[in-house]
Amino acid sequence: MIRDAKKEWLIAFVLLTPFLAVYGLTFVYPTIDMFLLSFTDAPLIGEGDYVGLENYTRLGSDRRFDTAIWNTAYFVALSVVPGTAVALGIALGVSRLTGRMQALILALFFLPYILPVSVVYRLWDWTMNFQFGIAMHVFDMLGIDRVPVFKTTTWFMPAVAFITIWWTCGFNILLFLAGLRAIPQEIYEAASLDNAGRWTTFRRVTWPLLWPITALNLTIQLILQMKIFDQVYLFSTGGRPNDNLVMVYYIFQRAFQSNHGGRAAAIAVVLFVIVVAVSILNFQLTRISGSGKR
Amino acid sequence: MFKLSVLAKAALAATLMSSAAYAEETVVWWDFLGGGDGVRMKQMIADFNEAHKGEITIDATTLEWGVPFYTKVQTAVPVGEAPDIMTYHASRIPLAVDQNLLSEITADDWSKMGLSESDYATATWDAVTIDGKQYAVPLDTHPIVLYYNKDLLAAAGRLNDDGTPMGMDSREGFTETLQALKDSGSVKFPLGSVTADGNFMFRTIYSLMGQQDGELMTDGEFLAGDNAEKLQNSLAVLAEWTEAGLQSTYTDYPATVALFTSGEAAMMINGVWEVPTMTDLHKDGKLFEWGAVELPVIFDHPSTYADSHAFAIPAGDMTAAKRDAVLEVMSWISKNSLFWATAGHIPAYGPVTASAEYKAMEPNATYSPLTENMIFDPKSTLAGIAGPIFDVMSTYFVPTLNGEMDPAEAVEEIKIELNDL
Repeated sequence: MIRDAKKEWLIAFVLLTPFLAVYGLTFVYPTIDMFLLSFTDAPLIGEGDYVGLENYTRLGSDRRFDTAIWNTAYFVALSVVPGTAVALGIALGVSRLTGRMQALILALFFLPYILPVSVVYRLWDWTMNFQFGIAMHVFDMLGIDRVPVFKTTTWFMPAVAFITIWWTCGFNILLFLAGLRAIPQEIYEAASLDNAGRWTTFRRVTWPLLWPITALNLTIQLILQMKIFDQVYLFSTGGRPNDNLVMVYYIFQRAFQSNHGGRAAAIAVVLFVIVVAVSILNFQLTRISGSGKR
Repeated sequence: MFKLSVLAKAALAATLMSSAAYAEETVVWWDFLGGGDGVRMKQMIADFNEAHKGEITIDATTLEWGVPFYTKVQTAVPVGEAPDIMTYHASRIPLAVDQNLLSEITADDWSKMGLSESDYATATWDAVTIDGKQYAVPLDTHPIVLYYNKDLLAAAGRLNDDGTPMGMDSREGFTETLQALKDSGSVKFPLGSVTADGNFMFRTIYSLMGQQDGELMTDGEFLAGDNAEKLQNSLAVLAEWTEAGLQSTYTDYPATVALFTSGEAAMMINGVWEVPTMTDLHKDGKLFEWGAVELPVIFDHPSTYADSHAFAIPAGDMTAAKRDAVLEVMSWISKNSLFWATAGHIPAYGPVTASAEYKAMEPNATYSPLTENMIFDPKSTLAGIAGPIFDVMSTYFVPTLNGEMDPAEAVEEIKIELNDL
């Protein structure tokens, strides 16, 4: 049978059209529109006048924008690598168990992941409540001064990062477990025949073979945590919102509270550029370091 | 099968006939009243539906108070998904008008409702007026008041014979009352304060500024002239109470109410909307003897922050018949707002507060004289519940009220940030 290249192209195009249409309408078009919006003084809803680069230049002297950038970076530092490390540690432990026990322990670690963020917020907000929280009674018993965790800038980000890791690491554990199971058992047998110790086995066998999964985990976490909003917003309510600002929170404030659509779009563009740049950098770094290990 | 289709036809015919005969209007209603007052509003809606059977039905939905409510409204209205009527805070009206979210209540509308300017207090009417036009129908005013535990005050020897707390007329007097409560050793905190929530404390602090005739905004400038100093004075009083261990620290809203109702805090400054909580607990025999009075005069003269719940009609097309139905809803609820007073709020409709039944209601009657001394938010698109001013204030109030930041430094920062909005 002779293949009709033209016809194949046509079929491919027809099959792709629904996806392209939806993708264009719900992603490409809004993204382009966001760029255009960032050069105007538009309110949240409606048209605005062209103002050139003003929305960008004023970010330079914007204190809240500074706070947002630093807090986001701080949160990423507190959550990405520690979160991945915790997940790896737990996955290594769980993988040593077998049968029902493994399923049970895995389920326990995975449980928080199924909770919606509002429930996570309620749980921890009451646990850490300065007057009535369970954690405060523990502090009292240990003779430590009570800490208003979500109301001081010192403890806010570390606490939110800790809760985020507690909440989301179940998913990362699953990824790591899948990765661990994919490592052929023979390699471990060979290693033990060579009298390799546990640490050496981990360093020379598990770690390099698991690296693609680790890199994947780091990338997912990185992108996710740069877009942090829900937890920070919820735990800040009524407290010190402008000291706890992160990028997406600041976009929300500008757009929905101050009715500045154009200025919000400018911050969104900055975040977009940062996420793209950091993702590429992260991808390249993990690729280079990965190939060096093999 | 035959039977079923006959039934269906009969049902269809009945529906058609009934709608032709009555032309019943369904009014879609959104509110943010989720607490004890929400229960009472649902009762009023049920009463309204009962009284207008076959003519108007209210289809009500309660949404989350604050930011979630207002973000939803400002996106729903422009795309034509808004309700027919919604509750609105008077303090949010300037921003709403700026965003073209509200439909003007015209002179014609007022006369159809049988309501007029003379039915409302000047400050309340003014709060729903922008450039001489009205954009909402005020339902109530809801100030903050001082709740107190009579048993504990009596034990500390600071209760007057008429059952009110002593020392309400000066800073020294009130501090003395707090000190006496502390010395009595019967409470954990003399004053339960929502010190973990700067949004909430804005109400108290703005009241204290008002007691010195301070203004937040003068001709569009924030904290102009000596107003910064007046804000600093207000913060200093509260910081001093914290320093002396006279008020609870890092306490959020629910914890404050819990401290007061469990007797661990002898007094509490909170909105009148907590009145139903106290009334209901007391009725069940779960609460001590309590009272609520106007805030103490810490500075020159009495002054209390208040906001107003009002009814607004979203901008957009609406049939004349539907609009008449909405006007009837606003009119009927306003005129029957005596029941709304059981939610603690002070009804905005004058004839209700002038009635003998209202004057016999307690503790409303004790605190209602404060309507003379009410101040509202500045008229700015930045003001109001869940607005940008609230966030700035909250950020610096929390550390100041808990002894982490000096009041002078806080005022300096607040001024910079406010003028930066």
